[in-house]
Amino acid sequence: MANFSKKAAIAGYGATEFSKNSGRSELKLATEAALAACADAGINPSEVDGISTYTMDNNNEQEVARAIGSKELKFFGQTSGGGGGACAPLMQAAMAVATGVAETVLCYRAMNERSEYRFGQPIQAQMPTSDNLIFAYHGFQGLMTAAALLAVSMRRYMHESGATQDDFCNYAMVARKHAARNPNAFFYGKPITREEYHASRMIADPFHLLDCCQESDGACAVIVTTAERARDLRQPAVLINAAAQGSPWGTMGLGAYYKQDIVPRDECAAAARQLWATSGLSPKDMQMAIIYDHFGPTVLPGLEAYGFCEYGEAKDFIKDGNIEVGGTLPVNTNGGQLGEAYIHGMNGVCEAVRQIRGTAINQVADVENVLVTAGSGVPTSAVVLSRDV
Amino acid sequence: MSYGSSGSAAPAEEKRHHAPLSGKDTDFYYNGLEDGQLLIQKCDACGTLRNPPSPGCGACSSMDWSPHALTGTGTIYSYTVHYHPPLPGFASPHPIAVAEFEGVRVVGAMDGTEPAAMAIGKPVTIEFTRRGEAAGFRFKLA
Repeated sequence: MANFSKKAAIAGYGATEFSKNSGRSELKLATEAALAACADAGINPSEVDGISTYTMDNNNEQEVARAIGSKELKFFGQTSGGGGGACAPLMQAAMAVATGVAETVLCYRAMNERSEYRFGQPIQAQMPTSDNLIFAYHGFQGLMTAAALLAVSMRRYMHESGATQDDFCNYAMVARKHAARNPNAFFYGKPITREEYHASRMIADPFHLLDCCQESDGACAVIVTTAERARDLRQPAVLINAAAQGSPWGTMGLGAYYKQDIVPRDECAAAARQLWATSGLSPKDMQMAIIYDHFGPTVLPGLEAYGFCEYGEAKDFIKDGNIEVGGTLPVNTNGGQLGEAYIHGMNGVCEAVRQIRGTAINQVADVENVLVTAGSGVPTSAVVLSRDV
Repeated sequence: MSYGSSGSAAPAEEKRHHAPLSGKDTDFYYNGLEDGQLLIQKCDACGTLRNPPSPGCGACSSMDWSPHALTGTGTIYSYTVHYHPPLPGFASPHPIAVAEFEGVRVVGAMDGTEPAAMAIGKPVTIEFTRRGEAAGFRFKLA
């Protein structure tokens, strides 16, 4: 069993504004968020001696280190999985500080994922890498977008669970309701109605436009250090209680239709088993959760895989109001990636930090433990963050 | 015929197709389409069928395999209908299915089939077609 539980903590976080056109480079966004995280923690950026991020971030670790004035990096790298890697840097950072490899690790995601390129566009790769050959194999049949690749999995989920388009609408409405109250959300003040959801155009059946995360410009960053040191810094320590990656046999970077269960679920369940074993906690110990919503409908199998509901029950769990602020398990209180912004999961990590500190806009009462998950239907990762008590 | 024996000097199969992106592990599949065959792999050591192409058998780790042609009728395991954005070579909306043949799943275009006719569990057959310069295939409802 992993033995870095509570040995590392998030000491600070930072973010830029979220927009559709940042007007500056991705590297500048990364630098701004990194410096904001250092300032929040009360540490000098020169002390950053580790950087951990995840694939599809275009900002080289050394260039970020050069910009923020990090004296010397002893630990740096990207974990794989794109959005599925959103929580993995926290695991890497926690292992690095727990073993003494590094003391102050910066994790970030910075992207102009609307103004400079768009993940929603067809994937048309050039180089015959192992990943690209799989994309090409699917693309040749007209399966070229992230939406369509995950839609196939969610069609199967509907078949098995009985979930309907209206159940997917229920999640989208909650996300937009939370975002409507969050001034930092792109969709601040813009909740949606059931009619608007059903009228929104189809992207890839069963995903309507309002099931899809945004395409966003922006950056988020956190500083991870030892729990001991974090206690002496200016913010309350947010402990990394457990962190795990999940990738059972047959997992692929989208389009994993060749293993027994094609629902975006078993990679999450694999991470969940490790998290609950490491932390000694269970889903009922979470006061809230950040469940990755690249596509809103995937929140349903996500809730089930992490053990908040039995398989097929998430539709009723959501319909009954459990995931709203005031419910038994508020989810994506920042508005999620449908409502706040799509910063590849890192904005969800920042929301969990605020909730544990008690400084969130849609604050949940007395938050002690928060589960944060990363992209599903791809190699995934997840973390349990806890208040220092 | 053994295509991928470890330790032998057998050359990779010659590329005879025009698929947009392929490599030494996938050329057999696109070459098969040129020959009017939908190929998957069969492990020479344990007989396990596998798809999509991989140099090794996930069941026994053997790297020896032979091509295996799928024929007859498969069953739709899941599907989507792509609407947006428009894709090169396809008129939206167009369905795509994951179908099971002999217990193995294969992804196939279903352009030409009405989106409303798509359903999990329906039988499909294989129809060979051209995709621009390249040989391709699609599924049709049986």
